[in-house]
Amino acid sequence: MNKTISISRYNPEQDSQPQLQTYQVVSEHSTSVLDALLQVQQQDPSLSLRWSCRMAICGSCGVMINGIPKLGCKTFVRDYPEQLVISPLAHFAVEKDLIVDMSPFLQHLSAVKPYLINAEKSLQPHKQTPAQLAKYQQFANCINCGLCYSACPQFGLNPEFIGPAAITLAQRYNLDSRDQGKAVRMPQLNSKNGVWACTFVGFCSEVCPKKVDPAAAVNQGKVASASDFIISMFTP
Amino acid sequence: MTPFTEPPKRSDEPIWWALFSAGGVCFAVLMPGSILALALLPALGLTSADSLNYARVSALLYQALYGMAGLAFVGGVICLPLFHTAHRIQHGLHDLKLGGGLLSKICCYGLAAFASAIAIGLLLAGQLQ
Amino acid sequence: MPDPKSASTAYKPVMSRHWWLQHRYFQLYMLREATVLPLLFFIICLLYGLFSLSQGEVQWQSWLTFMATPWVVLLNLLAFSASLYHAKTFFELFPRVMPLAPAALMIVAQWLATFIVAAGLILLLGGWL
Repeated sequence: MNKTISISRYNPEQDSQPQLQTYQVVSEHSTSVLDALLQVQQQDPSLSLRWSCRMAICGSCGVMINGIPKLGCKTFVRDYPEQLVISPLAHFAVEKDLIVDMSPFLQHLSAVKPYLINAEKSLQPHKQTPAQLAKYQQFANCINCGLCYSACPQFGLNPEFIGPAAITLAQRYNLDSRDQGKAVRMPQLNSKNGVWACTFVGFCSEVCPKKVDPAAAVNQGKVASASDFIISMFTP
Repeated sequence: MTPFTEPPKRSDEPIWWALFSAGGVCFAVLMPGSILALALLPALGLTSADSLNYARVSALLYQALYGMAGLAFVGGVICLPLFHTAHRIQHGLHDLKLGGGLLSKICCYGLAAFASAIAIGLLLAGQLQ
Repeated sequence: MPDPKSASTAYKPVMSRHWWLQHRYFQLYMLREATVLPLLFFIICLLYGLFSLSQGEVQWQSWLTFMATPWVVLLNLLAFSASLYHAKTFFELFPRVMPLAPAALMIVAQWLATFIVAAGLILLLGGWL
């Protein structure tokens, strides 16, 4: 079955802003949006896009599909019988076509030190009970695709907002019984660009392809930050 | 973009967020009943006659439980919801790119504090009479 | 920091202040935030009521008449609907911020609290208690 799709094109050497271009693709029941984009790339090799695993784990094929951030590989053309418009992830600078500059996102991720911080120099493995694992496990499923940033109007309004995925990862490590790095992560969360820039719009959790619920993590971060605020009043 | 080298300044938002959350609970739990009991049912004549007469309301607000009932009512149905409102307006102005900075923050929370002080003042004046 | 090589040529989208009109999800978010506007009207009514009560019986009577004016009733009806919509969103978000018990149980418990408070206030202020 032939299907017409529109793709946002932007060539930084020629264009002042992105423009939609339509293409014809052959769509079967199992054709994903990523498959359709790769068909277009066969017709027009100048189309630029990021992709890798085709199975919703590498997190690199995020695009806006009819204005909603989604993974191209996890979205089917059959679900869009009307129009299908593919554009680059919102709130990021567009480098070319569907390629955005993800470096602000990566910088925000590294700012929260998303790794185990533990001064113990033991050679033994850190033991953890299933209950201790359950505390953070949901927040550990993030694949860093950045869809939540494109879903977040607060990140769009304030690019300095550390954002859903980074705060979720901070919570993921703060809740980990093996970690001792909470004290060095809290200053980022406590700032106006940390958890306090969030207004619980909640769209980040709607678009998350891994059901991480970053909005819950960020707002649990507000409770943590408020407790930290009270503790700081009683400690010099 | 600011490089993440120095630890950023702590936000004072926990104060406003705590007031906002407490006000949000009041808005959700106390407000539906309050609006029904004070505005809609009496206006539609669905209360038992004269239940909101001057003597009864002054006794409830000024004297019941040594004035604590009045204080709880003003705190839960006026003051905290005012801070809830101020917080949402402050962030809403930021969402609409109309404000959200220090000036609108002072206006929003300042007005909420001012109106709360007036409400408590009016109540205490009545209670002390 | 954005890649310096691409910084000059990359297209940087700017968010319009009408961003929330794009999707139903954002429209409902704005509706949630706007529930404070009719709430503010009801709070102003209450402040006026507190003032009227402090001025004596005649002024209190005129407040009761004011509260029964059709446009006031209409706006308070809006405030009542806003309080219910706020309650719905607030009760659904609360278990995600503080997961103390299964979410469904927490939502039911919160609605129950609103219902009991409303029944109590109506019985008390309606003159049946």
